[in-house]
Amino acid sequence: MGEIKQIRLCGLGGQGIVLGGTILGYAGINDGKWVAGSSSYGAEARGSACRSEVIISDEPIIFPHVTRPDILIAMSQEAYDKYIKDMGRDGETVIYDEQMVCTKEISGLRQLGFPAGSVATKELENKLVANMVILGIVAEVTRIVSRNALLSAIEKNVPERFRALNLRAAELGLALGRAQK
Amino acid sequence: MAGDMEEYLRPGVRTPFCPGCADRILVRLILRAIAELKIDIDRMLFVSGIGCAAWIPSPHFNADTLHTLHGRAIAFATGAKLFNPELITMVVSGDGDLAAIGGNHLIHAARRNTDLTVICVNNMVYGMTGGQVSPATPMGIFTSTTVEGNRERPFDLCKLVAAAGAEYVARYSVSQPDTLVSSIKRGLETPGFSFIEVISPCHIQFGRRNRLDTAAETLRFFAGKCLMKDEAEGLSPEELRDKIITGEFSNGRNQAD
Amino acid sequence: MAWKEVRSALPAGNYYYSGNEAAAEGAIAAGCRYYAGYPITPSSEIMEWIAVRFREVGGVFIQMEDEIASLSSVIGASWAGAKAMTATSGPGFSLMQEGIGYAAMTETPIVIVDIQRAGPATGQATRVGGGDIMQAKWGSQGDYPVIAISPWSVQEMYDQTINAFNLAERYRVPVILLAEQAVGHLRERMNVVEKIAIFNRRKEKGAAPFGAGDDGVPPMPAFGEGEKLLVTGSSHDDYGLRKVADPLVQARLTARLHNKIVNNREEIIQHEDYYAEDADVIVIAYGFTARSSLFAVEAMRREGKRVGMIRLKTIWPFADSLIRDVGSRAKKIFVPEMNRGQVAGEVMKYTCCDIIPYNQTDGEVIHPNTIMGELRRLL
Ligand SMILES: Cc1ncc(C[n+]2csc(CCOP(=O)(O)OP(=O)(O)O)c2C)c(N)n1
Ligand code: SF4
Ligand SMILES: [Mg+2]
Repeated sequence: MGEIKQIRLCGLGGQGIVLGGTILGYAGINDGKWVAGSSSYGAEARGSACRSEVIISDEPIIFPHVTRPDILIAMSQEAYDKYIKDMGRDGETVIYDEQMVCTKEISGLRQLGFPAGSVATKELENKLVANMVILGIVAEVTRIVSRNALLSAIEKNVPERFRALNLRAAELGLALGRAQK
Repeated sequence: MAGDMEEYLRPGVRTPFCPGCADRILVRLILRAIAELKIDIDRMLFVSGIGCAAWIPSPHFNADTLHTLHGRAIAFATGAKLFNPELITMVVSGDGDLAAIGGNHLIHAARRNTDLTVICVNNMVYGMTGGQVSPATPMGIFTSTTVEGNRERPFDLCKLVAAAGAEYVARYSVSQPDTLVSSIKRGLETPGFSFIEVISPCHIQFGRRNRLDTAAETLRFFAGKCLMKDEAEGLSPEELRDKIITGEFSNGRNQAD
Repeated sequence: MAWKEVRSALPAGNYYYSGNEAAAEGAIAAGCRYYAGYPITPSSEIMEWIAVRFREVGGVFIQMEDEIASLSSVIGASWAGAKAMTATSGPGFSLMQEGIGYAAMTETPIVIVDIQRAGPATGQATRVGGGDIMQAKWGSQGDYPVIAISPWSVQEMYDQTINAFNLAERYRVPVILLAEQAVGHLRERMNVVEKIAIFNRRKEKGAAPFGAGDDGVPPMPAFGEGEKLLVTGSSHDDYGLRKVADPLVQARLTARLHNKIVNNREEIIQHEDYYAEDADVIVIAYGFTARSSLFAVEAMRREGKRVGMIRLKTIWPFADSLIRDVGSRAKKIFVPEMNRGQVAGEVMKYTCCDIIPYNQTDGEVIHPNTIMGELRRLL
């Protein structure tokens, strides 16, 4: 059996969670993987626990929804509180925005905080690209997608006038991820 | 061949209309307008809904005809015309079909100014289904569903369609054949949405319930009510009551008067 | 034959599309160049995708005033020569029913994508449902043929939309892509191949446009070709002339409409078998639920349990002989559905083997664990 990774991104509506999931999935495609993704939409996507899920696999995916995340990416407290319940097995990882989330102690669970939001605000003067910073971090720390796949996914999915900004945000995230190691 | 009216009639067709029905006259008048414009009828598409009036093009006209669902003729016509703008597309249907069940399609096509010529055959009643009230039935008229006389106000269809944005809007009666034919020609020649309301009396379902026993009487009754627009000018509302004002109400979006 | 190979509209390769986007691209690949629609969750992305892409490929797009108008204009466009489509969800699909009957009666090739949501009525607009199975078959008055396909993946939203157009053109029939919200909004890897096979409606100058043809499917001319067509939803003879009181005409026409689909069902119906050969309990599933089911079946096979699955890719015409055959082999048939047993009822018509429906109508997909739990109880 090849590798299969289940990833859940969550946060507030308006933080670009759905776009983040789409870009992550797209990057998986760029890496030649099988990918399935589904997201909150409608009122849910604007709410306080917006969610986007991606499965990246070496083989065709039979059931396309996340059954148990290997990686939880949390961008808000409410979303963290809601979805942390599904986490806790060995080898699972939580990546969160340390400005937004206070974690709970869960033994054996790797939980890594990063200043994604504050880096976006300070370095790029745009809090909205915290999602791209986080994606850069995730790519570097978990290796679920490659750097090039991520950057080209951003290029394809972000409108021209925001492209450079989003790419820089992802680069900052990649750097933060490298520093962590 | 372009211009030959007899060629425009589908051979071997027995008309379904009651003897004396004004729609029989209208069959000829529409074809006369097309013949006078020398339009090759193979370039035309006739779309109709359901009702007596919807039988005017189908099967009488020897051309492409699309006999659709009750109320939906304009929507069907929109698809055909948009996909193939070469088709000179005319919709012929009744007052019930176009103004009741299909009223929404009518105002939206006028709003879009879709390039269609719509002939609304107004007998002020649902002819085919046995003479029920229609949104064009005048007040006081007896129908099978207004047994004490119609208490609802009818639409002024021309005002409605003009207000919705139609390019060309006119009303004439089959009792004014020459002006009607010119109007249909104007409608066909006008790019955009053209709407011609034709007063085409039904003696069977409308006439008989309102003490008009023959086709001729019914026709005369309506003819007597028709006033040309300029004749109507200066008349008091009292004098205009029960009158049908005929003429052009909009020809070119900005010249509506 | 009217089959031909054409280049795909998209460059060959892998894409990351939603099911709705894939359906729109499938339509474009199949040659669809007329689309009319009315916004409704969860199908609107199809219309929005088409609105953008038709500007690139040169198609006619219009947002109509309602679903009745949308479908009506699609039928009008089809007779003007277009491959034409609309998409909607339950409430709009209900409004389209009269037009679907009309398309069946006039043998108009059209494609309708129904992204099913949780009903009845407005129900839960953003949630999944599968309650339009019977509506797709019996929603309009009278007996009439339709083809309905149930895709289970984004790839199939693309491939089966192409297939839907091919079937519509081949059999002159309305074809319904009966997808569920969970497939319409799923994003997946979708592969586009360089060339696809396309069927374009047969034409034959002067031939009766409503005659029997060789296989019950007459050739179809378009408006503007000088054929002086009579198209009507009233009962009609081979040339479209209204015959509204002739029992022979009515009987012949309704029989032919029915038979042109039923007699060709081997060519139309698609299904897939998974571990069904030696299974004691067979799951019959379709659409998204088939993915949950296959996941469950594979997990239980690894435990050595004799379970299998048959996936119905075509819902209408119904795979009657397949079900007869399965019923003669299996001990039990399990039918999980996101409705109150619409396909289970059909299955019961064709076999008297023990049939266990499972009906979930809570606006959520059926989880593999649920299916595993049920299967364990049946073994
Ligand atoms: C959906 C639907 N509702 C009702 C009918 C029945 N119906 C057929 S014709 C008609 C009224 C026709 O009236 P109008 O359009 O004024 O035409 P007329 O017969 O007066 O020329 C009705 C209600 C129908 N065919 N379809
Ligand atoms: S019922 Fe009236 S409108 Fe219909 S054919 Fe007879 S006279 Fe004409
Ligand atoms: Mg009438």
